[in-house]
Amino acid sequence: MKLLFVLVEAMSFCLLVAYAYSKSPAFRPLRPDALRWRDRLFLLGFFGALSITGTYLGLPVRGAIANTRAIGPVLAGILGGPLLGGAVGLAGGLHRLALGGFTAFACGLSTTVEGLVGGLVHLYVVRRSGPERVFDPKVVFATTFAAEALQMAIILLVARPYQDAVALVRVIALPMMAANSAGAAFFMSILRDRMKMVDRVGAASGARALRIAERSLGHLTKGLDREGAREIARIIHEETGVGAVAITDTEQVLAFVGEGSDHHRAGAPIASEWTRRAIAASEVTFVDGMDEPYRCALSKDCPLRSVLVVPLHVAGDVVGTVKLYEPASKRFLESNRSLGEGLTSLLSGQLVRARYQEQKSLLVMAELKLARAQVNPHFLFNALNTVMAMLEDGSRPRALLAHLSSFFRKNLKRVDELSTLREELEHVSAYLEIEKARFEDRLSVEVDVDPTLLEVRVPTFTLQPLVENAIKHGISDMLAPGTARIHAYRQDGAACIDVEDDAGAYEERRRGGDGLGLQIVEKRLRILLGREAGLAISCTPGELTRVSIRVPAPTPAPAATAARAAS
Amino acid sequence: MKLRALVVDDEVYARRSLEAMLDGTGALEVVGSCANAVEALQAIRAQAPDVVFLDIQMPKVNGFELLSMIDQEVMPHVVFVTAFDAYAVKAFEENALDYLLKPVERARLDRTIEKLRRSVDQGKPPVYDSPVLERIPCAGPKSVRLVDVAEIEQVRCSAAGVYVVTPRGEYLTDLTMRVLETKTELERCHRQYLVNARHIEEILRPEPRGAVLRMRSGREVPVSRRYFVALRRRLGLRGDAT
Repeated sequence: MKLLFVLVEAMSFCLLVAYAYSKSPAFRPLRPDALRWRDRLFLLGFFGALSITGTYLGLPVRGAIANTRAIGPVLAGILGGPLLGGAVGLAGGLHRLALGGFTAFACGLSTTVEGLVGGLVHLYVVRRSGPERVFDPKVVFATTFAAEALQMAIILLVARPYQDAVALVRVIALPMMAANSAGAAFFMSILRDRMKMVDRVGAASGARALRIAERSLGHLTKGLDREGAREIARIIHEETGVGAVAITDTEQVLAFVGEGSDHHRAGAPIASEWTRRAIAASEVTFVDGMDEPYRCALSKDCPLRSVLVVPLHVAGDVVGTVKLYEPASKRFLESNRSLGEGLTSLLSGQLVRARYQEQKSLLVMAELKLARAQVNPHFLFNALNTVMAMLEDGSRPRALLAHLSSFFRKNLKRVDELSTLREELEHVSAYLEIEKARFEDRLSVEVDVDPTLLEVRVPTFTLQPLVENAIKHGISDMLAPGTARIHAYRQDGAACIDVEDDAGAYEERRRGGDGLGLQIVEKRLRILLGREAGLAISCTPGELTRVSIRVPAPTPAPAATAARAAS
Repeated sequence: MKLRALVVDDEVYARRSLEAMLDGTGALEVVGSCANAVEALQAIRAQAPDVVFLDIQMPKVNGFELLSMIDQEVMPHVVFVTAFDAYAVKAFEENALDYLLKPVERARLDRTIEKLRRSVDQGKPPVYDSPVLERIPCAGPKSVRLVDVAEIEQVRCSAAGVYVVTPRGEYLTDLTMRVLETKTELERCHRQYLVNARHIEEILRPEPRGAVLRMRSGREVPVSRRYFVALRRRLGLRGDAT
């Protein structure tokens, strides 16, 4: 009876070791079919030590030792194959041999054999049912049970005198077979549970990442704008449960959700030195709140203490950051940290795609537009017809042909993305001369441009499509004579360029599919000149259609000179 | 005898050059030239030309629509004149319409005139297959107003002219009753009235001499005995007039 208790005690020790091991940072999920040499060495040391400890914790019985030595080799064999099992068995066996006694050799031999048995079972199970099956406690129990039975047989065969061996086996056989088998099975079950848990945690954060990815999809199709940023920050905040989430571009906070949103506001410039550092160095920056506390640059009462700043990349450039915060009361979870980093690369991917899509469609449209502007057969035919109709009219056809040639030459020569307003006006005036001749009495043109705006940059081919629309879809469809007007002026530090016609047929035009030309103009304004540039349309049916372009305009030169003189 | 020709084009130079060219053939006499379809409609009625040289692309009402608006009584021979447009050419070929491409070639014009001469000498009035009208040009306060046919409740003619009546008001038009009756879904219900069946609210006082229609707007339109049966049939009612 005492024997059984001692064995249970020894077994419990083994389980304690297993538990401690599974909780230690050294624990990593094993893949029995792909062990690395480092893993094998570690397992050899670990299970060797376990085996030797098993011997020490045993109880001397009739000149031998009842023990739990077999657990180590059998487990090592099952996990790592015959080589590892044999090596652990040999280590345990040699140690046992050194201790002496009439079963010393028999026990040393049988321990090695038990390791090999474990190894053979490993080979069999892996081939038969796959590597996962080696973690099955039932397999482990059966294997250890068989291995211990084999040990008893070896003792009977090898240990002398035979009578003593028989007497010994009679006492120890059942307790040892039971204790070792149960111990090995429990040991494996602890390992397995622990591994499952790691898997589950991994799966949970994986699922969370997927859910965020799925929910955030589509919010970035327009690039990194405030609206999309707010949605995504809200989603990350909800899914991760961190204290707060912010998304910035490289200059300002685009969105902030969570604790501290009273003083962290969207639209504010970036105040945190860590964010600026992350953007400058293009590196993930983590302030754990312990070694180095996060100090809010905006408010002393800010509850946030730790922050993770992950830069968003597009084409190698940092375009912004995603920030996850935790308040002083919470530790920044490791899983949230890796999740934050993973998510950011995912969002970067979405941004890259958004930008690619946008550029692709812009490119296609720009090409279309350019092709149209360069060779517009209808325009050319109409112009030539006008010229021919005028031929009797002395010098006018010559002038008109000169305008026509100038218009087409400028079309071909204009390859830069941006032009000055002066160049745009020159291009349009050649176009207008031809249309004026064509419509003669029905079209008059007024141009009123603030001369300090002539050097303002606008996307090439901005003005011509607007003027073309005003005539083609506006004035040419009027029974009465019409007036097209180009008006450029300063307003609130920007340049406004209005193109107007007095047909006021915009609503009808839109139905006629006139929207695309304006869309292209608007997109190019935004892409080439940024958020401050834009296009607006107003229409009073039957009276006026006005397309207004707004572009950034530097302060006029004379004023700048005056300012310098004053300072 | 020279053929009497009208030129319709919204571009002044195109007009002048075609006029000069037509004069130059010696076979035609240009009796007028118009810058849009509304002017052309009046000129055709006033001048009754033998042939109209008609541009397609014109403000508000295009050449094809104008063709639908001409009363068969004064229908001239029509030659379309257009700048390069594959689609329009296809339409001409399909409908056996005569056409010239801008810039007009003299040789091609001579062939066209020959053909015209023959048709006019045969004395058969030209009949063109022209599309249904969806908008009716009417005189507005300042300019021409295009009224959707679906909006029209009734058309009334008096000594002053033909009036298109919508729930919002009455407008004078240059189109004749006959054109409106044949080229739109409006129904004849009286010698002086056309009516849009969709605007009828109910038929009042059916009597041997006809009836009165009450329209959704509350206005009343007379139905003469001559048109009553056909109108009832059209409205899906029994044809007997008792």
